[in-house]
Amino acid sequence: MIWLAIAGSAVVTYAVRAFAFRVALPRSLPAGLARYLDALPAAIIAALAGPAVLVPGGTFTRGPEAAAAIVVIAVVAWRRNLLAGVLSGVATVALLRLVLAA
Amino acid sequence: MRRLSPQRAALAEGWPVLATVVVVGIPFGIVARQAGLAPVEIVAMSVFVFAGASQFAMVQLFRDGAAWPVVVATVLLINLRHLLMAAALRPYFERLSVARRLAAAYVLTDEAFAMAISWFRRGRTELAYYATFAVALYVCWNAATLVGLLAGPSIGEPRRLGVDFAITATFIAIVVLGVRRRSDALVAIAAALIASGLAYAGASVVAVVTAGALAPLLVTFGRERTAP
Repeated sequence: MIWLAIAGSAVVTYAVRAFAFRVALPRSLPAGLARYLDALPAAIIAALAGPAVLVPGGTFTRGPEAAAAIVVIAVVAWRRNLLAGVLSGVATVALLRLVLAA
Repeated sequence: MRRLSPQRAALAEGWPVLATVVVVGIPFGIVARQAGLAPVEIVAMSVFVFAGASQFAMVQLFRDGAAWPVVVATVLLINLRHLLMAAALRPYFERLSVARRLAAAYVLTDEAFAMAISWFRRGRTELAYYATFAVALYVCWNAATLVGLLAGPSIGEPRRLGVDFAITATFIAIVVLGVRRRSDALVAIAAALIASGLAYAGASVVAVVTAGALAPLLVTFGRERTAP
């Protein structure tokens, strides 16, 4: 089951990368389709992050994850630095979980 | 000023990106190991799938008990963006043999795309720049995965250190860095809320695919806007 998932994921990932290197795409896609494809990556990545922030483990957050998400957004918007954002987010979550557990 | 060779330039300009790849790759190894995946499975993901966001998503789906077609469909959606990137790079690689082009495709990542495009925009044409950076990134990602999976069992309870949040923070940071206009933020917020609602309703397995596929519709049928 896990190996099927890994093999299938490897195949589709490489197929996408190789396809466009090998085959010419039409110069201009329909405007709507281009907009859809343009917006897709951020939507998927946001969909990955959303539940981990708002409903971690299937129940509403008790606060640390939501607070850390705000910290990450603020730090990255301000510094434009991925690493600074990730480290500040992890530190915020660790600290708040410690405080709430005490 | 002496011009650096393409190989040296790739490493001189790319090292901060490569360092970030290591910092994200180690948590991947840790999280994957602690989700109960076997070391050989984790190594296979980094060697053969080689796609950061996808690999984290796969671990999350494995933990939720998703069936393999759901995992593959999610990975496909996440990586569809490479279609546009490879299409943009293609003209520069046209003079290569098919075999070399297919090899270049194997190590295509968001980071390698961004570095290569900035190189070509400066009027340089050497493909060694792309090859050096993309292969260095491949090595860094796999080395970091190995370090993480070896360190995983000795970290203890990962939630205490916030390690589980490293990937979430990475996702948030990637989205924030990519926001160019208000509609980008709108789509991201909609996707996050739809996915959260589905996860809360117990449909976490299909939450990412569904929310990720639906949210971009918000901008698909809007007014005509100038392309970026």
